[in-house]
Amino acid sequence: MATLTESRPSEVTVSPSRIAWRFFLRNRTAVAGMLACVVFFVVAVLGLVLTKGESPVLNPRQVRLADKFKPPLSLPNPQAVPAEDLPRLGIYLLGTDDLGRDVFARMLEGAYVSLLVGFVAVGIAVAIGITLGGIAGYYGRVRIGVGRLRLMTWDTLIAGLIDVFLSFPSFFLILTVVAVLKPSIWNIMVVIGFTSWTGTARFVRAEILALREQDFVQAAHALGVPGPQIILRHLIPNAIAPVLVSATLGIAYAILTEAGLSFLGFGVPPPDATWGNILSDGKNFLFDASWLTVIPGTAILIVVLAFNLFGEGLREAFNPKLRQL
Amino acid sequence: MRVKQILILAPTLVSLFLLQSYFWVPTFEEQVKGDPGRLTRYIQTSIGDASILNPTLAADSASSDINSLVFEGLIDRNRDLAFRGRLAESWEIFEEAYMVVDDTQRLPDGNPVTADRLLRHLEKARAAGDPALRLVQKIELLPGQSKIEQIEVAIPRQESGKPKKRMVEVTVHLPPRLKFTLSEVDQDFFVKLNSLLRGYGNRIDPSRFIEGAEPVITRERAAALVPPTEHNPIVLFRLRKGVLFQDGHEFDSGDVKFTYQAIMAPENLSPRVPDFEPVKAVEPLGRYTVKIIYKRLFEPGFGSWGMGILPEHLLNRERLKAEAIRLGRDPKTYSIRDSAFNRAPIGTGPFRFAEWKTDQFIRLRRFRDYWEGSPNLREYLYRVIPDLLTAELTFYAGTSDAYGAQPHQVERLKHDPRFQNFSRLGLGYTYIGYNMRRPIFQDVRVRKALGMAINVQEIIDYVLYRQAERTTGPYPKQTEFYNPTVRPLPYDPEGALRLLAEAGWTRNAEGWLEKDGKPLAFTLLTNLGNEVRKAVMVVAQNAWRRLGIKVETLIMEWAVFINERVDKGDFDALILGWSMGLDADLYQIFHSSQMGHFQLNFVGYSNPEADALMIRIRQEYNRARQVEMARRLHQIVAQDQPYTFLFVGKGLTLLDRKLVRMIRDPDGTPQYLPIVADKLGRINFHFNQWVKTSEPVLAAY
Amino acid sequence: MLSALLRIGWKKLWTLFFVSVISFAVIHLAPGQPSQIDPLNPRFTPEQLERYRKAFDLDLPYHVQYVRFYRKLFTGELRAFKDSQPVLPKIVERFWNSFPLFLVGTVLIWCYAFPLGIASAIRRNSLFDKVTTVIVFALISVPGFYLAYLLIIFVVQTFHVDVIGLRTFGREGVAAPLRLMDRTWHLVLPSVLGATAGIAVLSRYVRSQMLEVINSDYVRTARAKGLGEDTVLYKHALRNALLPFVTMLGLLVPALIGGSVIIETIFAWPGIGRLGYEAVLSRDYPIVISLNFIAAVLTLLGTLLSDVLYMVADPRIRLEAE
Repeated sequence: MATLTESRPSEVTVSPSRIAWRFFLRNRTAVAGMLACVVFFVVAVLGLVLTKGESPVLNPRQVRLADKFKPPLSLPNPQAVPAEDLPRLGIYLLGTDDLGRDVFARMLEGAYVSLLVGFVAVGIAVAIGITLGGIAGYYGRVRIGVGRLRLMTWDTLIAGLIDVFLSFPSFFLILTVVAVLKPSIWNIMVVIGFTSWTGTARFVRAEILALREQDFVQAAHALGVPGPQIILRHLIPNAIAPVLVSATLGIAYAILTEAGLSFLGFGVPPPDATWGNILSDGKNFLFDASWLTVIPGTAILIVVLAFNLFGEGLREAFNPKLRQL
Repeated sequence: MRVKQILILAPTLVSLFLLQSYFWVPTFEEQVKGDPGRLTRYIQTSIGDASILNPTLAADSASSDINSLVFEGLIDRNRDLAFRGRLAESWEIFEEAYMVVDDTQRLPDGNPVTADRLLRHLEKARAAGDPALRLVQKIELLPGQSKIEQIEVAIPRQESGKPKKRMVEVTVHLPPRLKFTLSEVDQDFFVKLNSLLRGYGNRIDPSRFIEGAEPVITRERAAALVPPTEHNPIVLFRLRKGVLFQDGHEFDSGDVKFTYQAIMAPENLSPRVPDFEPVKAVEPLGRYTVKIIYKRLFEPGFGSWGMGILPEHLLNRERLKAEAIRLGRDPKTYSIRDSAFNRAPIGTGPFRFAEWKTDQFIRLRRFRDYWEGSPNLREYLYRVIPDLLTAELTFYAGTSDAYGAQPHQVERLKHDPRFQNFSRLGLGYTYIGYNMRRPIFQDVRVRKALGMAINVQEIIDYVLYRQAERTTGPYPKQTEFYNPTVRPLPYDPEGALRLLAEAGWTRNAEGWLEKDGKPLAFTLLTNLGNEVRKAVMVVAQNAWRRLGIKVETLIMEWAVFINERVDKGDFDALILGWSMGLDADLYQIFHSSQMGHFQLNFVGYSNPEADALMIRIRQEYNRARQVEMARRLHQIVAQDQPYTFLFVGKGLTLLDRKLVRMIRDPDGTPQYLPIVADKLGRINFHFNQWVKTSEPVLAAY
Repeated sequence: MLSALLRIGWKKLWTLFFVSVISFAVIHLAPGQPSQIDPLNPRFTPEQLERYRKAFDLDLPYHVQYVRFYRKLFTGELRAFKDSQPVLPKIVERFWNSFPLFLVGTVLIWCYAFPLGIASAIRRNSLFDKVTTVIVFALISVPGFYLAYLLIIFVVQTFHVDVIGLRTFGREGVAAPLRLMDRTWHLVLPSVLGATAGIAVLSRYVRSQMLEVINSDYVRTARAKGLGEDTVLYKHALRNALLPFVTMLGLLVPALIGGSVIIETIFAWPGIGRLGYEAVLSRDYPIVISLNFIAAVLTLLGTLLSDVLYMVADPRIRLEAE
């Protein structure tokens, strides 16, 4: 197959993505979004390193009732809090919450968990979307049969499935399922993933429909390369742009959805801290300790905005019709 | 270009139209001025909507809030928590007791027992002033009779495995019985009588009176058909005359009987069945007297007559049938639960139902012919706001009159001059329960140590802002049943470690506690949505980990938590709360017979002395004796520590300062009095006297 | 034309069937049971809970439950667990409460999305374009409930007026115009909040459609003919860019219903979003299933309408369908 890949016309493989990339770099808001996303990644990884384990560097679970509701940048009270419980940094950078836990440590932990929720949910959505989109795009005209009966084509079936999922108010459906399954971090990720694959599937299908007629695919087909292999090795890599776009936007959507579920009491349950549940726990103290909402609220705003701008920039860069100026 | 103009004009016009509506809306300051009627409307907010406005069927607090205004019971509690007559003017409690005449036995004087001889023997003892018969007013002889009954019996296990059941026809020869009328209920009456008759009662074999199925019927089954001795406590209510239902129909004894029947009818699925199941019969004696006969001794049953009374004339069989036919439903299956009455109820209470918009509000109007006089406020509006913060904001905006503050808000709101506040101890306590089926929790020293490791005072001070009090046992602190001599567990982590060491748990190299190589590890559960329990959970986990105990925590959604874990006894330790009744009965929560799946002694507490006390307490009608036993029970439970008893929360209610009580002097001049809370912190005891004035009329107090 | 219509209808019917199966199946993943049981009342015994289960046919096999459920739903016999009220009229009543929110929300979306999208497309990469892009995305990047609280607190603290619920509560017997304006005022905040996501998504869509069309050959031809810039943009370009929006009409429905759950809960708005949330909380299966189902049916009707409109508007589709 290697020979075949190399024999592809060079414009098809390299240049579109490179052109797109160059175009993307010119869009400064999108680049800013991308950079913010990178920073968020770093923070999330730091969060994992610093806050996990039995005795983490920064302990997000340390309760100090005597030091509750300290505003940001305040110093701990060494008289009331035992020495081993004092924060490592010697200061509450972002204040403490209603149990005297360090909001800075909790935000770090939450960054990691929120990102995990986004990634796994999107991973599931993208996997389903690529599979179904790929099948619909490549085998679109093949009919599915039960015995002799040829009922419908794959394309009809998958398009129908997409229609079914688009018909439900997704947030309500997610809420329903999470509520009946009981809210756990895995359930939430899986449910968000299972209800948000339609966009990816549609993009992939459209892209593959266009690619299917191209020469290199026809050639592979003529050589007798089996269908799944053509899809996986030749079509998907070329259809990756729309997947990337919907994945980026999907992470933003997943983080926001988790926050909404937290508000309704069906978010990721403690002890896992997410920015969503820090925010919704904080809302009870809006008048008494405003930093408990301002900090996670702003953090979510920045990160989700970054993913949205990044994704939107990618979308524009990969759309050849918009690129010409 | 027209299109361009439209594109600019449309959003501008729409926005302007929407925003100008602000000028038409009253601000907080104008609200009372523009609409004087607002002063005659009291607005209460609630998180949830009512579900069914029928006191016999409702199981949620929102429905009870409304039902308590629309309906009224025979009795309620006064400000000092003693019983007070409402629809009943007065009542008497006495007992009728029955004993079978067993002619196979001999009397203490050696003669064989006959009904007449037994009666004469006892009459003679009573005349001689025998203490066993001190309370007896009257002894009567009831003739025997025979009847045929169908009973279900289990056939011993066959090869197929499952025990089979079948119906058997038996003839019950009910022998002559003696009926004793006692001036007070006495649970030891037959014990005393037995010693007078040298064990007569214990020797009665009820199987003798059952014919037809001897090989399969057990002694207990026979005793259920023909009880050798039987206590029937009686409550005789004398009803208030001339009380009207809100539709003008007069209330009478038939309504009391009807309400009882409505609760017990299986098709109504009433959640109040357990409260009324011990009632044998409700017999009206004329229009204004009702005799309640209990099957057995059950003192807590009396308080259940605070249940709102339903109007028979609106819910009887014929009315339901007519309603079913009108709606095209099957009249045979149409029950009170289906009736439209539950959404437009009529009772005898001070407020009559007017309107219900689901999830928005319920409107009640005052009932001018209320027997105790019409309430001052014209309307009561029960507004549903699911979000606490939103509810708080409506209180500040003047569109609700009361606000139940959370502990952390108390500091901020307590001294606000706009409000008056009421902070009193409630009835709910929070505890950590240990599953005593698990080996680690069988040792009382471990349970005690776990309790001693938790700084409860710190939780009260910091988590609850002192809006709670320490409690040591299962009784409300406002009642006499609470034993004030029981000391709370001290906060003493060192002592806890010593106790654990005594129990065999010592620290290993890594600092974790272990015994025989096994670590001390368990999971602590609680339910979702309760912030205080969540905080307790975090504090407890922290405190226990510091001792070297591996504690995992899990917060579960209510339905799953109850159905999958609590009901099946599948947990190690959990944080929960009980709302205590005002009676002394703890049978369901702590008796060792209540340990099965789906029962309330899910921690598996068992102590023979406590078991015996719990049974005697629920059978005791004498207040002083009951208090004495309850205090002893409190002490035992506190020693055994099946729970770590944490605290009883206080309820803080804020009211607009403009709300006061108003009563009129005989000459009609109004007199303003402050609103006061009762022993339970309920502020609405005098609700009928409340008025809202345009300016505060009483100085701050 | 007719055969194309029939074909669309047939497809929608199939979708409807799967929708009904999914909405019913979802609920039976549950280990929970109707939480009629009062957490604080120790006298409410599990025997009663068992009786509830029996009375509400929870013990039958699933396929029987499915058939009975939909039969009861369509005959109007289905009743909510919580208050034994018929489900269908309840949902209809709540829908009409939500309707003004949806309507004003949609109006706001269309009023703002088009001018914003077109203006950013025309002035692509200008400061205006960048600022609107960031603002529009910022609005959908804040968790909705947080934004709602900030707005409510701001308005209540600054203007001292009520914003919760359908109208100023407890104010009665005032004249009709006052009442109307009172209701309008109470619509402002929730509908603005409900519209933010729609404005963001749709304005971006308008922008990219306009950009595509502006760059297309026929627009260039129109320019070359010497037509005025406004004529080219608003007559030729906009009309063609508008066509795909017709398809978005139907998809607004699920977004509005899904979004209303949080907003209606915060604003104590008695609409279908809140009905759904309360039903989920109390495991009121009949309502949850019916709501998912009915929302999906509404969407299907919406998409059916937009399919038909699209077919009428664009002759190419008609041909393709043949």
